[in-house]
Amino acid sequence: MALLVDKYRPRSLEALTYHKDLSERLKSLAQSGDFPHLLVYGPSGAGKKTRIIATLRELYGSGVEKIKIDSRVFQTTSNRNLEFNIVASVYHLEITPSDVGNFDRVVIQDLLKEVAQTQQVDQSARQRFKVVVINEADHLSRDAQAALRRTMEKYSPNLRLILLANSTANIIAPIRSRTLLVRVAAPTEADICKVLGKVGKQEGWGEAEGLNRRIARDSGRNLRRALLMFEAVHAQNEKVTDKTPIPPPDWEALIAQIADDIMAEHTPARILLVRAKLYDLLSHCIPPTTVLKTLTFKLIPKIDDALKAEVIKWSAFYEHRIRLGSKHIFHLEAFVAKFMRILESYLMGMDF
Amino acid sequence: MPSDIRSFFGAKGSQITGSSQEQKMPKDVAKEKKAKGRAKRKVLSDSEDDLVAESTKKSTPKKLPPKKQMKRDSPVGEITTTSEYFASSGKSKPTRSTPTKPKTQSERKVTEESKAPSAKSTPKATPKPEPATNGKSSSRKRSKPNYAVDFDHEDSDFAPKVLKDDADSGEDIFVADHKTGRKGDADAYQSDDDKDEIIQPTRKTTKGGKSASSKKRVESSDDDMNIQIKDLPMKDNSEYKAPKASKVTNGAKASKGRKRKSEELEDEDDEDEDHGAPASKKPKSAKGKPPAKKATPKKKEEEPQARTQVDDILDAIPTVRAPTPPPRDGEKIFNYAAFNANRNEPVASGSSTDVPVGAENCLAGLTFVFTGVLDTLERTAGQELVKRHGGKVTGAPSKKTSFVVLGSDAGPKKLETIKQFGLKTINEHGLFELIRKLPTNGGDGKAAEQYEAKKKQEQEKIEKAAEEMVKQERAEAKKAASFNSSSQPVSKGDIAGSTTTDSRLWTVKYAPTATSMICGNKTQVDKLQAWLRAWPSNVKIKFKKPGKDGWGVFRAMCLHGPPGIGKTTAAHLAAKLEGYDVIESNASDTRSKKLVETGLRGVLDTTSLLGYFAGDGKKVEAEKKKIVLVMDEVDGMSAGDRGGVGALAAVCRKTSIPIMLICNDRRLPKMKPFDSVAYDLPFRRPTVDQIRQRIMTICFREKLKVPPNVINALIEGSHADIRQVINMLSTAKLDQDAMDFDGGKQMSKSWEKHVILKPWDIVSKILGGGMFAPSSTSTLNDKIELYFNDHEFSNLMLQENYLGTNPMLSNTYTGKEKSFKMLELVDNAAESISDGDLVDRMIHGSQQQWALMPTHAVFSFVRPASFVAGSQSGSQTRFTSWLGNNSKQNKLMRFIKEIQGHMRLRASGDRHEIRQQYLPLLWYRLVKELQEEGKEGIDDIIALMDSYYLTKEDWDAILELGVGPMDMEHSKIDTQAKSAFTRTYNQKSHPLPYMKASQVVAPTKKSKERPDLEEALDESDSGVSSGEDQAVLDDDKPLDLKKDKYVAAPKKKKAAVKNKAGAKGKGKGKVKDESEEEEESEEEVKPKKGKAKAKK
Repeated sequence: MALLVDKYRPRSLEALTYHKDLSERLKSLAQSGDFPHLLVYGPSGAGKKTRIIATLRELYGSGVEKIKIDSRVFQTTSNRNLEFNIVASVYHLEITPSDVGNFDRVVIQDLLKEVAQTQQVDQSARQRFKVVVINEADHLSRDAQAALRRTMEKYSPNLRLILLANSTANIIAPIRSRTLLVRVAAPTEADICKVLGKVGKQEGWGEAEGLNRRIARDSGRNLRRALLMFEAVHAQNEKVTDKTPIPPPDWEALIAQIADDIMAEHTPARILLVRAKLYDLLSHCIPPTTVLKTLTFKLIPKIDDALKAEVIKWSAFYEHRIRLGSKHIFHLEAFVAKFMRILESYLMGMDF
Repeated sequence: MPSDIRSFFGAKGSQITGSSQEQKMPKDVAKEKKAKGRAKRKVLSDSEDDLVAESTKKSTPKKLPPKKQMKRDSPVGEITTTSEYFASSGKSKPTRSTPTKPKTQSERKVTEESKAPSAKSTPKATPKPEPATNGKSSSRKRSKPNYAVDFDHEDSDFAPKVLKDDADSGEDIFVADHKTGRKGDADAYQSDDDKDEIIQPTRKTTKGGKSASSKKRVESSDDDMNIQIKDLPMKDNSEYKAPKASKVTNGAKASKGRKRKSEELEDEDDEDEDHGAPASKKPKSAKGKPPAKKATPKKKEEEPQARTQVDDILDAIPTVRAPTPPPRDGEKIFNYAAFNANRNEPVASGSSTDVPVGAENCLAGLTFVFTGVLDTLERTAGQELVKRHGGKVTGAPSKKTSFVVLGSDAGPKKLETIKQFGLKTINEHGLFELIRKLPTNGGDGKAAEQYEAKKKQEQEKIEKAAEEMVKQERAEAKKAASFNSSSQPVSKGDIAGSTTTDSRLWTVKYAPTATSMICGNKTQVDKLQAWLRAWPSNVKIKFKKPGKDGWGVFRAMCLHGPPGIGKTTAAHLAAKLEGYDVIESNASDTRSKKLVETGLRGVLDTTSLLGYFAGDGKKVEAEKKKIVLVMDEVDGMSAGDRGGVGALAAVCRKTSIPIMLICNDRRLPKMKPFDSVAYDLPFRRPTVDQIRQRIMTICFREKLKVPPNVINALIEGSHADIRQVINMLSTAKLDQDAMDFDGGKQMSKSWEKHVILKPWDIVSKILGGGMFAPSSTSTLNDKIELYFNDHEFSNLMLQENYLGTNPMLSNTYTGKEKSFKMLELVDNAAESISDGDLVDRMIHGSQQQWALMPTHAVFSFVRPASFVAGSQSGSQTRFTSWLGNNSKQNKLMRFIKEIQGHMRLRASGDRHEIRQQYLPLLWYRLVKELQEEGKEGIDDIIALMDSYYLTKEDWDAILELGVGPMDMEHSKIDTQAKSAFTRTYNQKSHPLPYMKASQVVAPTKKSKERPDLEEALDESDSGVSSGEDQAVLDDDKPLDLKKDKYVAAPKKKKAAVKNKAGAKGKGKGKVKDESEEEEESEEEVKPKKGKAKAKK
C-alpha cells in the first residue's frame, strides 16, 4: 500500500493522461529503432520520470520494470571510497551523480565507460543499446558534463543517455547539441483535476470538485505534490467537502509564520528571532532558495503595492547571492533586514 | 574633612536656593527649557555690543520680575556700589598675600577694554548685595560673587553666555531643590547640559575674535575670579566667618569644600576650562604660577590666602566638572541618555584636542577612576596619561578616589558610588587641565604630601632592604671566602670580583631568600611550609588528619598559576627553609610512565646523602637528610611522556617523601589524575604594590633609576610576571641607567607576550564600541588584526552577535527615528556580512584565493561592526550557532539521502522533492498515526514503510526531519506505543531495497580496467589466460557458493568445472566480467549472468 502518487503511476505511454502529443512523439521514437540521446527537462512534478520509464517500457517491454538498487564503490583519485547507488534493470541504469557531490566526474567516467564498453548480451533484447538515465543532470558539475561529451558519441552503438533536468540552463551547450531536447511542461490545473478525480474514484473517495481545483491551484501545477496533498487531505479528514482546508506542508507553515513575525515587528531583536527559524528550516534540509522564494511570496500579499517591486528586486538580489555564497543564512538574514528597513521607511513616509 | 565638606555643601545648598529664589522664584520647568533654547540662540550673537541689549532682552522676555529688578537696579545703583565694592576689595586685598594683588592689577591693565566694563560690571553686581542683605542672609551674598565674576567675564567676551548659564543653573538648582536636597547636583548637571552646548560655540567665538588677547585675559579672569570669591566672603564677614576660617586653616580641604559649595563658581570655572582646553597656552602660564607660590609652603600655612590660591588653582580647575555627573544617578539615568545624545555630536568635533604634557609626577597621590566612553580620549590612553603623570588608576570608585573621569555610557553602578561618596567627577578636559596645572610631584596638596610621605617611607624600606641584601651577600661571601681560604688560598680580590661581576642572572641573584621576600601569595607559601613541617608527623599518623586547611591527608601539593609569579621559587624556598633537600624533575627530563615508575622508586625511599656527607671543609648538614621531590612543569608532560601523568599520580598516592607538583594550568584534562591526590595550591598574580618594592630594591641595588610609575607600567605590562620584569630591567641596565615612562612602556610592549584573543573577546572588543568611538585611535589595520586573532571564528561570532548591540550611531536619535536608524544600521551590517560571504566563497571555494583574507576581514567583520558597534548591555555574547546548525543540516541531509535511496524504487523524486513533498504526508501517515492511534495503527504504518522500503532508522529520521508544526519537540509519542511499534517492527522481516556496498567486497580499481585487455589475452594466450581464469574462478567461487543456496558445498569443484566449461563455450573473456559482477552483487542480472545461472 504505497501512497497514491506511486500506486497509480501510469506504466505505459498510453496510460499517460496529459501531453498526449508528447507521448505520441516518444512512442514513435521508441519504435523507430533509432533512439536518440534525450534531454528531458521540465519543472518538478510534471511527469518526466514517469514518461521516461514508460518510454523505456515501450523500448524494452516489461523487463525494465524489474528494477533493483545496486550499490557500487568507486575510488576517487585521492583514494577515497565513494558509495554510489544505482537503480538498474537488465536493460537500463538509473544514476544520480549529484549524490556524490563533486566526485560525480569519477562516477560518470568509470560507470558510463564500463557500461558503454559492453554490448547488450541478451540476444532477445529488442534493442542493441542500453539506456543510462541520469537524474538531476542540471546538478552535474562542469567536469562531469565534459566527461559526458565524448562518451555520448564514442559509445553510441552501445549506449543511449537520457538526461533529466529541471532546466537546461546548467547544461553545457555541447551536450545540449548532442541530445534531443524534450520539454515536459507542467500539467494544467484542469489536467491535475482530471487526475485527482480519477484517482479519487479509484480509491472510492467522495468527490469534491472544488477541493480538487483548490489543490490543483495550491500545488503550483505540480502533479506529484497535488496527489500528495490530495491524499493528505483525505487522510486527515473522514469526509471532505469543497471547503476542507488543505494542510500546508510543515516547512511552508513555518515560513508563513516567519512572514507574520517579520510583518509584526521591525527590530533587530525580531531579526534574531527570525534567524532562529530560518536556521531551523535550513538545517531541516529546505533549500535556501526555496525558503527565500516562498518567504517573498508570503510577504508580498501583506505589503503595499508600492513596495512590491522593491521587495522582489532585493529578493532576487539575495537569491543570486545565495547561489554565489556558501553560508546561506547570511543572505537570508540580510534579506529580512532589508525588507524590514524598506517597510519601515515606507511606513515612516521616507524614501528608501 | 568630609564633615567640613558636608557642612559646606549644606551651606551652599541653602545659598543656592536663596539665590535661585531670589532670581527665579516664579520660574518653573517650562521656563527652564525656554531658557535653554534662548541660551543657545544667544550663543550665536557674541559681540560685546550686544551685551547690554541682550541682557536687557533677556531680562525682559524671560527673566522674571525679580531678575529684571536686579538688572534694573544695577545700572541705577552703580555709583554707590562701586565705591562700596572698591572699598571692600581694598579691605580684603591687604589680607591677601601681596603677590596676588599686583597680579589682579596687572590683569586689569592687560586689557584696557576690560577695565571699563569690569568697572561697570562690578557695580552691577554690587547692587545685589544690598537687597540680599536686607532679605536673606548669606545665600545672597554668596550669589553676589558669582555675578561679579560673571561680569568680569563679560569683559572678556563670553559674558552673555555665562550669565545665561548662571541663570540656567540657578533654575535647575531651583527645580531640583524642590525634589531633594542632594539633588542639587543633578540640577547642576542639567545646567551643564546647556552649558556644554553653549560652550563650544563660545570657544569658537573667542578664538576667532580675540584669541590673542583673550588668552591672557582669560587667565586673568581666572585669577580675578579666585580673588573675588575670596574677597566677597571677606566683605560680608558676618555669616561667613566660619567657612572662611576653615578654608584658611586647612588649605586643601577648604578649597575642596568651597568648590563644592559654590556651584555657580564652578560653572564659571567650567567656562574657563573649556576655554583653556583649546587655548592651551593659557593653562601653562597658570601652571607656572602655582609652583612659584608653592615655593613657600610654610608661608601658606600662616598666610592662608597664598596657600589657598595655589590649591585653589589646582583644585578649582578639575572640580568644575564635578556637578556634571552626579545627577546621573537614580531616576536621572534617562536624562543622562538624552544628555548623551545631545552631547555626542558637538563633542566629536572637539576630538582633536591634543593631549597635554604636564609636569613630571604631577598627579602624584591622586587616584582616578575612568568610566564610560570619553569623547576625545580613549580610556586606555587616558589611564596611561594618568599613570604617566604619577597618578593611580583604579577600576572602581571608592572613598579614596580623588577624581572620577566620566564619559558617556558610564556604568550605573559607578555613578551610584560616585553619588554615595560625593566624589569629584571630571571629564577629560578636566583631566587635561589638572595635568597642565598641577606642579611637579603633585605640589603641596594633601594627597601629594601623603604620597610623598609614603614614597619616602617606601624609599627607606627599599634602602633598608638593599642594605640587608648587601649585608647578606657579604656574609655569604665571607663564608665562602673562609671556606676557600681554608681549602685554597684564593685571594680576596677574587671574592670581590665575583661580587662585582656577578655572572648570575638577575632572577637568580635576586631570588628571594626568605618568605618575607616573596611577592604575594604569602598564605600559599606559608601553607606549603606548614605542610612540609608537618610531614613527619603526618607520615606517622598515615595521613589521616586533614588539619584545618585540609592538606593533612595529601602527600603531594600542586602549585599552579601563571608563569613568572614565583611558584618554583616558592617551592624551593619552602623546602630550603624547612631543611629539605630538593630533587627536581622538569620538562627537560623524560617522564614517561616507565621512567616515572622506575626512576622514582629509587628516590622515594631514600634519604639525602647531604645529611651524612659534605664537601671538603663543609659541615655536614644533618637536617638535609630529608628530601622533597619537586615535579616542575607537570603540564608539560607531553606525548613523549606517555602515561607519565597517571604514573605520577599513582606515586603521589603512596609516596613517603613530600612531592610538589608545579604546573600552569590545573584545569587541563590531562591534569585530572591529580585531582584526588594532590592538594591544590593556587598561586595568583601578585598585585603591583606587592611587587613594586622588590623591584625598586633591585633597581636601587643595580643603580638603575626607574621612577615608580615606570615600574608600575612595567609590572602591568607584563601582567605581574616578576621574572619578566626583572629580565626587562636587567636588559635595560645593559645600555641605560634610567628609564622613563615611555621607555618602560615601549619595553613592556615589545616584551609583551602575544595573547591570542578568544572569539568571545574578539567580538566583544569590536562590537563594544570602543574601537569605533570618535576618540578611538585604533586604525583599520588594528581592527583587521583583531579578525586574524581567530579568522575562522571572528566573522561567525560577529554575525551571531551583531544584532544584540545598541549602536552608537543611533544614539543621537530618539523614538521612531531611532528604531529606524537601528534598522538601517543593521541592514547595512547584514548586507556587508552577505558581501563577506561571497569573499569567503572565493577563499574557501574552488578558487582558493587566500590573498583575499584581509578583504574578508573587512567585509565580514570590520565593516558590519562599524555600523552596529555600541554597548552590548543586555545581551550576552553568544557562541556562533552556525556551526551547530551546519552540522545538524549535514546530518539531516544524510538522513534524507538515505530515505530517498530507500524510496527510489517506488518514488521518482529527488531528495528535495522527497523532503518537501513526500515528507509531510509520510510524517502524517507514519508519525501522527502512531501518535493518535497508538498500537492499532502499527500494522498500517509498517505496511506503508515496507512498501517504500523504509527502515526503523528512516522512521526516526522522518520524526526528526519535521519543522514547525511537525517539529520533533511538539510531537510527543506515547512511549508505550513507540516501544510496541519498535517491537513489532523488529519481529517482522522487511524487504531490503539493496545490499550495502560495504557488505560486499569492493572491487579494486585495477580489476575494473582489466576487461580492456581481456580480448587480447583471450585470443593470444589461452594457457595463461586459463590459468588466470582458474585463479579468478577459485577466488570468486566461495562467494558464489555462499550466496547461492542451490549449490551445496561439496559440489564446489564440479561447479567450478562447469563454470569453466561454460566460460569456454561462451568466450572466456566474459567470465571475468561475470565473476566481477557476482562479486559486487549476487543478483546483478546481466544477460551473460542469466546464462551462467542457467548453466548451473
